[in-house]
Amino acid sequence: MVKLFSGLFILLLAAGCTESINVNLDNSYIRLVVDGGITNDSLQRTVILSKSASYFYNQPPPMVSHAIVTLTDGSFLDTLREQLPGKPGYYMLDSTFRGVIGKTYSLDVKLSEVIGNSAEYTSTCKIMKVARLDSVQAEFNPDIGKDGHWLVKIFAQEPGDEMNFYMLKYYRNGLLISDSIQKWSTSDDKYFNGSYIRGLTAFYINNSHKWETLHPGDTLLVQMSGITKEYYDFIQQVQQAGYQIPFFSGPPANVEGNVSEGGVGFFAAYSNSYAKLVIPAK
Amino acid sequence: MKFFTFCFLIFLMLTAWSAHAFPENLKKYTISGKVTDKNDGESLVGATIFIQELKTGTTTDQYGRFSLTLPEGRYTITFSFIGYTSTSKEIDLDKDISLKMELATEQKELHEVVVKSEKSDQNVAKPEMSVFKMDIHTIQKIPALMGEVDVIKAIQLLPGVQSVSEGSSGYSVRGGAPDQNLILLDEATVYNASHLMGFFSVFNNDAVKDVKLYKGDIPANYGGRLASVLDVRMDEGDSKGFEVNGGIGIIASRITVEGPIKKDRCSFIVSGRRTYADLFLPLSSNKALQNNRLYFYDINAKINYVIDDNNTVFLSGYFGRDVFSNQFARMSWGNGTGTFRWNHVFSKKLFFNLTSVYSDYRYLLGTPTGTSNSFEWNANLKDIGIKGDFSWYINTKNTLKFGGAVTYHMINPGTASGTGSETVYTSIQVPKNYSIESGIYATNEQKIGSHFIATYGLRLSLFQSIGPGTVYHYTPNHVVIDSTVYKAGIIYNTYGGIEPRLGLLYDINGKSSVKASYARTYQYLQLAQNSSAGTPLDIWFPASPNIKPQIGDQVALGYFRNFRHNTIETSVEVYYKWMQNVIDFKNFAQLLLVDTLEGQVRTGKGYSYGVEFLVRLNEKIVSGWVSYTYSRSFRLIPEIDPNPYPAPYDKPNNISVVLNFQLAKRWSISANWVYATGAPVTFPTGRATIGGKVIPIYSDRNAYRYQDYHRLDLAVTFYSKEKPNRKFSWDLNFSVYNAYNRHNTWSINFVQDNTDPNVTYAEKVYLFGIIPSITFNFHFKHG
Repeated sequence: MVKLFSGLFILLLAAGCTESINVNLDNSYIRLVVDGGITNDSLQRTVILSKSASYFYNQPPPMVSHAIVTLTDGSFLDTLREQLPGKPGYYMLDSTFRGVIGKTYSLDVKLSEVIGNSAEYTSTCKIMKVARLDSVQAEFNPDIGKDGHWLVKIFAQEPGDEMNFYMLKYYRNGLLISDSIQKWSTSDDKYFNGSYIRGLTAFYINNSHKWETLHPGDTLLVQMSGITKEYYDFIQQVQQAGYQIPFFSGPPANVEGNVSEGGVGFFAAYSNSYAKLVIPAK
Repeated sequence: MKFFTFCFLIFLMLTAWSAHAFPENLKKYTISGKVTDKNDGESLVGATIFIQELKTGTTTDQYGRFSLTLPEGRYTITFSFIGYTSTSKEIDLDKDISLKMELATEQKELHEVVVKSEKSDQNVAKPEMSVFKMDIHTIQKIPALMGEVDVIKAIQLLPGVQSVSEGSSGYSVRGGAPDQNLILLDEATVYNASHLMGFFSVFNNDAVKDVKLYKGDIPANYGGRLASVLDVRMDEGDSKGFEVNGGIGIIASRITVEGPIKKDRCSFIVSGRRTYADLFLPLSSNKALQNNRLYFYDINAKINYVIDDNNTVFLSGYFGRDVFSNQFARMSWGNGTGTFRWNHVFSKKLFFNLTSVYSDYRYLLGTPTGTSNSFEWNANLKDIGIKGDFSWYINTKNTLKFGGAVTYHMINPGTASGTGSETVYTSIQVPKNYSIESGIYATNEQKIGSHFIATYGLRLSLFQSIGPGTVYHYTPNHVVIDSTVYKAGIIYNTYGGIEPRLGLLYDINGKSSVKASYARTYQYLQLAQNSSAGTPLDIWFPASPNIKPQIGDQVALGYFRNFRHNTIETSVEVYYKWMQNVIDFKNFAQLLLVDTLEGQVRTGKGYSYGVEFLVRLNEKIVSGWVSYTYSRSFRLIPEIDPNPYPAPYDKPNNISVVLNFQLAKRWSISANWVYATGAPVTFPTGRATIGGKVIPIYSDRNAYRYQDYHRLDLAVTFYSKEKPNRKFSWDLNFSVYNAYNRHNTWSINFVQDNTDPNVTYAEKVYLFGIIPSITFNFHFKHG
């Protein structure tokens, strides 16, 4: 709702002007950055390890190679293998791995050298259950924006037994369009706990944006994931990071991930549910 | 509570004793009465009554009344008020005398340079410091954004006052938070003083008479906020003839009608305004903007009725709404206040004032109905209160003021529910909150010898949370473990405060004085605002078992000196302020529609200090002020930062130049220039890449600063020709905001480049370039 509220003030913000400026910044110490996770299907089984850099580093992040990365659920499960030589810093599980809903997984990282305060890091995350996505609908609204917007709506029974958090992504003709964290949708169940979610708008897709808009005949796939509260908060914090709108923004602060020893980032574990639709004519 | 009552009684007895401790050899009589404007019959607040023979005097109170007790004799009494011709009267004081003095406004005669009569020397002689009073005529001359003159924007130009963000109505007084300012409109609390996200304030300058800001040395009759009191008084209607005033500007128009209902006894004033910037939006080529609605309107009304010499009643009210909507959402918010007052003169020495106030602030945020995402969200804060104040002019040496107030606060932090049959949203009610805030006070102003005045007082405050209510219990790590629900009518939590107030004045030679003050203040209500500029959705929340009241202690010392027959007032003040239980919020706090707001509050200490230099001019040609302030403000909240960090309002160097030049009879030029050190800010000192996005890794809280802020505003006003008995007059005002087009920082974003995601840069957002505007004001008077 706060997001909606921010949207309301686009008009006022449009009155503001921007210009790029030079700012002299100091450098803080280098931290380990963990990004990736596992799912209850084969969708996600990669973890990327990199290092933080000075803010205006302006190059791809320095990757962390030769680490020993293992997955446990109390007992040892598997080792994630670094994809050398092609993709340094990318550590992958065996393709047969499937996470189990309700289980808590730990990612242990042993580095070949100390980064930040430590050479050993741990992240822990539980796989939450997800509401089963019954169907999706796509509706074209010509009145919003210059060329109109597609509204992607979801239908599902919310379980209602506890506080649930959801993450949504979409694919167009098999290609992930929500390809960066900025494009993910999130929702908690505060406003519909236990009810049937009858057409909640999950995505507002700007028809002016060729790279994300839908066309009649396209196959739309929506992925809904059950995530932990910590991951939900993390996604929202990352999405807002860097931007300060004096009306809404609290003081800037470091995003709160689940990496121990002052590491940055999140090792996420979650479950997925999908629904498909062939886009009808407008 | 019993202890409080006991203290209070002792205090009363002490002051009564001191009041009668001086032998009264000569027979004494009292001169009392009222000072009003000859032109429209409105009372003059703070007018000076000066006894030439005794070199002593008094000033009128908030209702234009005064009382002065003197030994029997023959006296020359001079009545004076800024902008009015001083009038003297010879009096044989051999019995109690009641006087009604009418003062006429000064004509804009430029050649009449010699100022014969003594102007007010209150700056030096009045035992109050850290106070700034402005009448609406001064405010109207200040160049303003889009030509819309504004009380709060004028306040932000005073020494010791900082705007919290460009264009915002929020302000920080001596390093305090914006919610530590008590804003009163005819004694009713205004909980959100902003219109249009703060670019305008709720005060319509056509309906305002004067404003007074207390930055410290807060009198004992006020309580409930740590940093300041802004006392805004609504204009009274003209009791002699009908008047219509209005203005047409580029974004708003306003009209005021006033006049007598019964000549010299009963008058009314009604004032309204509306913005119309949105009327042009359908013409926009941007389709997204065409369907937007964005406006505000407000209405002020007041009736006053002089029943007889001893009784006057006032009824005043304010109602305002901001409306904002587009195809995604609709929103409205606003204040309503109402005040009923009864001034009663018990005797020539004892004045009484009974006030009952009502204040309601509410907002609504919703989406269009009929969709699955339809919902509506309401919140409001309502006050009902009653207040009694006595002024007892005991003798020449002592003036005792005492009284009490009780206010019932009702807070609904939020009700959100789906609307229409298709909605997927169920409803949510954040527990409502009820409390009673009360206070009793007594303060005595005592003249000791011919050079020394002491003002000493005590305020006892009490804050009670009353059922129905829900209190959550938290672990030391702010995790909810349990809650207790209290039934209606049960007082489940009580806080009390003893608030001494002390002011001392030593008059060195009639032209200069030294003043010192100490004040302790308690604050029981605070704003859940985590951003710098704030939004209308920010809610107020009370002290509770989890949130202790905030406590402030301030000491100040000042030197005051007047020059050139009091037309130049100068002062230097130093202050130091300690604050306990000040609030801040955890990182990434979610303050809206949450039951567990208190779990996100982090409390600690704060301190601020500074020195303020002020030169205020009241010459015929030049008026205004020039000030320089050096101040610092810090917070120590260990759960946020183990070290003290600069408060968001810590802007050490501050200069304000606000001047008006009446260059000729028919035109004047105004200019103001403000300079402030850039606000403290947290900047990135590193970065990490997550999910394709470069995210900043931040410095310590507020370790950097924005660029310094400075801005020049100019205005030229042409007046219509003055002719005797002319009924219609007008003026035309051209103003330029930000005349040299400085791009002052509103915020800085750290942005990832669209084409190369590895590249990041800093982007400054500024709100206003140079903004010219034109306003036409008119004035019509009949009778």
